[in-house]
Amino acid sequence: MEESRLNAMKRSFSILEDRKKRLFRDDYECINELSDRVKSIRKYSISNLEELIKKAEKRFTENDIEVIFAESADKALDEIYKIVKDEPIIGKSKSNTVNEIGLSTFLMNKGIELVETDLGDRIIQLDEETKGPSHPIGPAAHLNIKEIARIASQKFGEFIAPEARAILDALKNDVTKRLSKCNVGITGANSIAAEDGSLIMVHNEGNINIVSMKEIHIVVAGIDKLVRSVEDAISVVKLETIFATGKKVPAYMNVISSPSKTADIEQILLKGMYGPKRVILILLDNGRREALKEYDECLLCIGCGSCIVSCPVYNVTGYEFGYRGYLGGRGITFSRFITDNQTCFDSGLFQCTECGLCTLECPVNIKTNEIIERLRRESVEKGKYPKKHLETAERIKEKGSPFED
Amino acid sequence: MIYFRGCVAREKLKRISRDTGEILKLAGIEYTILENEECCGSFLLRTGFREDAEKVMDKTLKDLEGEKILTSCAGCYKTFSKDYKEILEVELDVIHSSQLFKELIEKGHLEVESIDRKVTYHDPCHLGRHMEEYDTPREILDKITELVEMERNRENSRCCGAGAGVRSAFPEITSKIAEMRLKDADDAGVNTIITSCPFCILNLESACNDDYKILDLSEILFKRLKRT
Repeated sequence: MEESRLNAMKRSFSILEDRKKRLFRDDYECINELSDRVKSIRKYSISNLEELIKKAEKRFTENDIEVIFAESADKALDEIYKIVKDEPIIGKSKSNTVNEIGLSTFLMNKGIELVETDLGDRIIQLDEETKGPSHPIGPAAHLNIKEIARIASQKFGEFIAPEARAILDALKNDVTKRLSKCNVGITGANSIAAEDGSLIMVHNEGNINIVSMKEIHIVVAGIDKLVRSVEDAISVVKLETIFATGKKVPAYMNVISSPSKTADIEQILLKGMYGPKRVILILLDNGRREALKEYDECLLCIGCGSCIVSCPVYNVTGYEFGYRGYLGGRGITFSRFITDNQTCFDSGLFQCTECGLCTLECPVNIKTNEIIERLRRESVEKGKYPKKHLETAERIKEKGSPFED
Repeated sequence: MIYFRGCVAREKLKRISRDTGEILKLAGIEYTILENEECCGSFLLRTGFREDAEKVMDKTLKDLEGEKILTSCAGCYKTFSKDYKEILEVELDVIHSSQLFKELIEKGHLEVESIDRKVTYHDPCHLGRHMEEYDTPREILDKITELVEMERNRENSRCCGAGAGVRSAFPEITSKIAEMRLKDADDAGVNTIITSCPFCILNLESACNDDYKILDLSEILFKRLKRT
């Protein structure tokens, strides 16, 4: 990432850190208690994942939400394509899981336009130089207002002033116009209540309220998002919000447990009153079950991005230290399972200093430095390591010293 | 007691092993230095060369088992304390130089004097977050200097950027991180940084100009000893 963009990102991060510090000072006990609760919720989930998947399938089906299980990204893409193949345009809200499967490029190649509705996501969608989000909740954290105005002006072919409201209005008008043509909305889910058959989504802009009200609502989520109940899911997303934004609650928490329906005329059930006729949940494995075998800790993540804000490496590299929306050390460890060792290596497996600060910043204390160390061992065994490391290793073996002279 | 200098204090920053040795002599501590001191294995472990690490650790262990071990390096200290236990199932009697210095001051074997020079303390990841030793170096510094904290200190301390093989394979990442750490000191209004890890010193020194002084705790302590 360019120096000026890194500086913009660091400025955004420092504002975020100050807000978080204030919140933690004022609400320390409450946050601590919530954090303990969420740790045990997440631990239960990954220890009982198969059972939760079964329960979710049954309960969602009973609630009239269609469940499709996708073992791979390709399968998820195929299933989505079957539903949307006749649509020229589709609306989308922010989702790392949707980014993970590469939906945007896939649909573009099929001639279907995917419209990002989150302001930050839309900005980076319009910027050719940006290779991905720089923070899971603030995707455009690396762009300053002048750059954003330049990107928007270029896109719309007219001058847009470097003024926040003017930029918002221009992007909002364009997105709203496009959204009005959409019959299908795609979102992720921040947490899924398996025993209740409910999907929980959090947002600040209200965009999910629009995207999820289209005729068909497709939800793409990893199996690692499953927890037991709505209460548990709310705890998870509340903690995620606190660690991601420094605010106690987001503007909106949507709980979706069925398509839109009414039975006000003689108890005749009709679907699609104001909202969707169909809600389809695509539950994605894509390597998560493999992660579960020996690296289950990696799946504890609730996606707040707190780990990257203080990460020394991330602060000097930006999103290049990570894989797609999965940023920083934890994102890199996750890439090993949702892709392969080579991708994990290319995403920065050997760039982490293993300093351990992310574990401290993580609401569920994932020991990423230890996972990194184990994955490096695997990678070395497969013959993938930085050349310099081999040279140093040879010197240590030969003369007990890492130094050349 | 064996003083295990570690590769940086042995080969690159000899002033650290020299001053540490002098302090020990002044305190009347008998110690030996290994003629063929080898590697603790830390680099190999952190970079995934596990098989090689185990061979090197086996070899190093032969010299150290059953002895009291003193280290200057936070990395050696962590590796001997945690990894030898976990991998080789051997509990080594190891102490970090900062801990020994504190003991010697408390027992009256070393007498120190304070001058009002402002310094700040950089927590090495391997001594701080990984071994949870935050207080000891600070207690010594409080006796001999005016300690000013950087905003990111103790468990929130920022890494110097060198660890886990990043300095050798990605020097540009390392130097940018080191610059951030130097700026942390600047922001605290201090240009003398004391730490307890020769590798951190090597790295911070290579990222700064002469306006800064980066010193090991042993160096500043040696200067503050009352000679009798």
